[in-house]
Amino acid sequence: MPISTQIDKIDAYDKVLGKAKYASDFYMEGMLVGALLRSTRPHAHIKRIDVSKAYSLEGVVRIIQAKDIPGENSFGIIRKDQPLLCDKKVRFIGDPILIVLAVTEKVAKEALRLIEVEYEDIEPILTPSDSERSPILIHESGNLLTHKKVIKGNVEKGFSESDIIVENTYITTWLDHAYIETESGFGYMDGNGRIVIYSSTQNVHYKRKEISRILALPEEKIRVVQATTGGGFGGKLDMTIEGYVALSVYLTGKPILIRYSREESFLVSTKRHPLYIHYTTGAKKNGTLCAVKVSIIGDTGPYASYGETVCLRAAIHATGPYEVENVYVDSKMFYTNNPISGAMRGFGVPQIAFAHETQMDILAESLNLDPLYIRMKNGLKRGSKTATSQILEESVGYLETLERIKPFWLERKKGKDRGFGLGSMFYGMGNTGITNPSWAELKLSSDGKVVLYTGVCDIGQGSDTVLAQIVCETLGIDVSKIEIVRADTDYTKDAGSTSASRQTYISGKAAYEAALKLRSFLEREGFYSGKKLKDIFEKYKDMGMPVFDGFFDPPTTKLDPETSSGKPYATYAFATHMTEVAVDSSTGYVKVLKVHAAHDVGKAINIQNVKGQIYGGIAMGIGFALMEEFVPGKTKSFNTYYIPTSLDMPEVDVFIVESEEPTGPFGAKGVGEPALIPSAASIANAIYDATGVRIFELPCDMEKLKLLLERKRERG
Amino acid sequence: MKKFDYHIPKSLEEALSLFKSLENAKYIAGGTDVLVNIKRKKESPSHLISLRNIDSLKVVEKKDGLKIGSCLIHQELLKIEEIRTYYSALYDALTKLGSKQIRNVATIGGNICNAAPSADTACPLLVLDAQVVIFGEKGTRMVPIDDFFEGPGTVAKEESEIVTSFELPSFPKYTGSAYIKHTRREAMDLAMVSAASRITFAAEDQSLLRDFLSSKGVEELDKELKNYPLFVKEARIALGVVAPRPFRAKKAESCLEGKFLNEETLREACEKAAEEAQPRDTIRGEAWYRREMVKVLTKRTILLSVKRAIEMCS
Repeated sequence: MPISTQIDKIDAYDKVLGKAKYASDFYMEGMLVGALLRSTRPHAHIKRIDVSKAYSLEGVVRIIQAKDIPGENSFGIIRKDQPLLCDKKVRFIGDPILIVLAVTEKVAKEALRLIEVEYEDIEPILTPSDSERSPILIHESGNLLTHKKVIKGNVEKGFSESDIIVENTYITTWLDHAYIETESGFGYMDGNGRIVIYSSTQNVHYKRKEISRILALPEEKIRVVQATTGGGFGGKLDMTIEGYVALSVYLTGKPILIRYSREESFLVSTKRHPLYIHYTTGAKKNGTLCAVKVSIIGDTGPYASYGETVCLRAAIHATGPYEVENVYVDSKMFYTNNPISGAMRGFGVPQIAFAHETQMDILAESLNLDPLYIRMKNGLKRGSKTATSQILEESVGYLETLERIKPFWLERKKGKDRGFGLGSMFYGMGNTGITNPSWAELKLSSDGKVVLYTGVCDIGQGSDTVLAQIVCETLGIDVSKIEIVRADTDYTKDAGSTSASRQTYISGKAAYEAALKLRSFLEREGFYSGKKLKDIFEKYKDMGMPVFDGFFDPPTTKLDPETSSGKPYATYAFATHMTEVAVDSSTGYVKVLKVHAAHDVGKAINIQNVKGQIYGGIAMGIGFALMEEFVPGKTKSFNTYYIPTSLDMPEVDVFIVESEEPTGPFGAKGVGEPALIPSAASIANAIYDATGVRIFELPCDMEKLKLLLERKRERG
Repeated sequence: MKKFDYHIPKSLEEALSLFKSLENAKYIAGGTDVLVNIKRKKESPSHLISLRNIDSLKVVEKKDGLKIGSCLIHQELLKIEEIRTYYSALYDALTKLGSKQIRNVATIGGNICNAAPSADTACPLLVLDAQVVIFGEKGTRMVPIDDFFEGPGTVAKEESEIVTSFELPSFPKYTGSAYIKHTRREAMDLAMVSAASRITFAAEDQSLLRDFLSSKGVEELDKELKNYPLFVKEARIALGVVAPRPFRAKKAESCLEGKFLNEETLREACEKAAEEAQPRDTIRGEAWYRREMVKVLTKRTILLSVKRAIEMCS
């Protein structure tokens, strides 16, 4: 049985043996290396650019500016508000102005220092509240990127019926994805004058569309292939180097390599959105939630990126995995001259989970109820109506995640300076309230194998392995019998982005559908009565081997523009973490000791991958909760950006709940983002349990906790 | 990175004469600081003279104390049993310095000569009264380590001179020392604050120390101190990152030295240490917090030193 059994990741051997080819490993004779000149000002008009000195440096081949772009000088996943190269205005420190192409990276970078740019500074806008009030506009369309509401019932009525009202403000900050491989891409022009790009990316088809707009070339003239990719976490969804590589290839006809140093990656990669969350909860004495009112203000930075997605997704998930009769969420995103905020594992939900889970614990304590009991009492179940008035019909495993944690929760024994905390979450699989389809194709090969053509980018999360398992399970063949052609716009159809925990569920289903078609073909051809795949191939090779395709688009509905009512997602994942911490009350140092993590994944196609995601999510959650903080203008590298090390990892026990999703492949949903979401929330609640100090701002680093502990001591 | 020539002398004399004859030369040992500085363009030597193939820089001598060659890497030093047993503060530092990869190339001489305020081996060597042995044109000379650190990145040695070894005296067995490095995570981090202590008790208190150990009082050491009037013959306290150089908090030391160790003298010493510290606000940590941590770490290293001294008497 290929699924649900221990199986090695099929890309693992090439990676550990050093055979895997990352974008920076590509080389071609005559290759030029590109480097980008970036703005040193947060907000300024560009008055003059002088490249003459740089051109006189030996080895500099070409300097490319905005005026050299043949098509549109703009890109953006939702809103095309980001210039590829700035010519009139820069909007953050790091905004790209021009590309230097040289024979070596060293020369290209040296040339950057010889370029003079004259700026006329504009007052920078550095907070969302300044952005809202300021007459200075970052974009002509205004400083408000988007405004969303989620409305259900009557929230004021809900509060009037409440016995208790809890109101608090929660603040989170910028985080870096900190993937092991920085942004990198290689490109060249093939014999037919087509532009070929190999890049470290989470989506190839989107990148092709953007390149086509920028170069004013039809998509057929462009091929984008995913090179082996060392992590993404959302940071490689937007265009990174692809546009610069493609433009450079187009203008010079030469092979081009562009890669970011770690410092450059820190400077310009998108960050997790800082959110200011004002959260009010009303409940009955018995713990029943009556009303939830939330105001979310986000800093999206100078360009939209995924700001609209984060704004809406945070609002939809604002109640957490609880049924609340009356909900009013108001969510806004403002442009600022800070770093670009974008997609990062969870699209705003890890931030909002920190808020709703702290609220639940405060409620429980105020009402003298057990934190697990109050979650159980309000938890989403089959038949529940979410904040967007969606009725959950299938695969609602939330209460079961609590049940799995319950024995450990009830048995917990608190030592000195130790504490336990719960964190729960729900998370919609796939894009929000829009179509997000995927295709997959299967063929037979001459050597008697099944070949899967998939547009899914495996960025390390393991989609290659999972898709192979799904196909093999459906066909009843061994995993050694499958080959994968992955994420290549010439050979694979669009599978959408590797994001939103969607690939196992959506592309897995597409692969499953394709496999069902191939299976009935193979049945007809006698494969299951002993005929060899090779012989079946031989039979069809002259008349043309048929292609078996599969398609899936999860059933969602468009959301009401005023209330966001509707079915934003076809299905949801659920999870609960119980975290134990030890707090050094003299120093404010927190050590995460142990995590019990229960996740409803629908069906674990690959148990090791599911566990791997959960371990990684917990590591990232420790960073979010305790130490990670990107300070614009100050954080330059890993020297001052702290991410947890292996020694900071707690012991983790994973409990897999399989509440099967009927529309998913073998019942599977997703776990990539859910793994992270409850982590920080449960740590913050555990710190309270250990110290009696509530955390309203992340990260809760040593200084912050020490200060809170001192204040508490002074109050007595 | 700027190009340089690399030289591999086999003796101290050869190294010194290379340094004298070459323009813009610099010594290099493990290279974990020098190469980073070159990459960051903080320095740009034309010649690097490696000290790694000079055998006399890798000596370990174990009579009347301990002599350790400057070119020993941290991972090798960890294997010296005497360091673990008699110079615990240094052992603590060796386990916490950088990562294993760094410990496998970085040398103790480099750590000291780079003279970063956060250098992990600096505070331990300060409390262990180390002597720095320096070789130069005029022969060999010795400098107490407290006089060796001058400021951030500057030490009391001519550029041509080579630190050859560190000599640690032998302490009576009723001595304990400890080093604590305060960091944001468990590994791969520079100290935000660091502290080392050494406590040497009086010889006549040995039976008292043995009683203390058998009473199990060590588990709650600070509370038990009042029941055991221990006389501190010698106290050393050194602090890292809270001044331009790693330094001995001598006022804090004098709160303990020649006095009985009890809650009060302990508290005084910690407060004095915090007063002597001059921490700054940086992206790595805030000044007020660092000052607070000086108190906490000073207390913890002293108590750990006391515990170790007691355990040595068992």
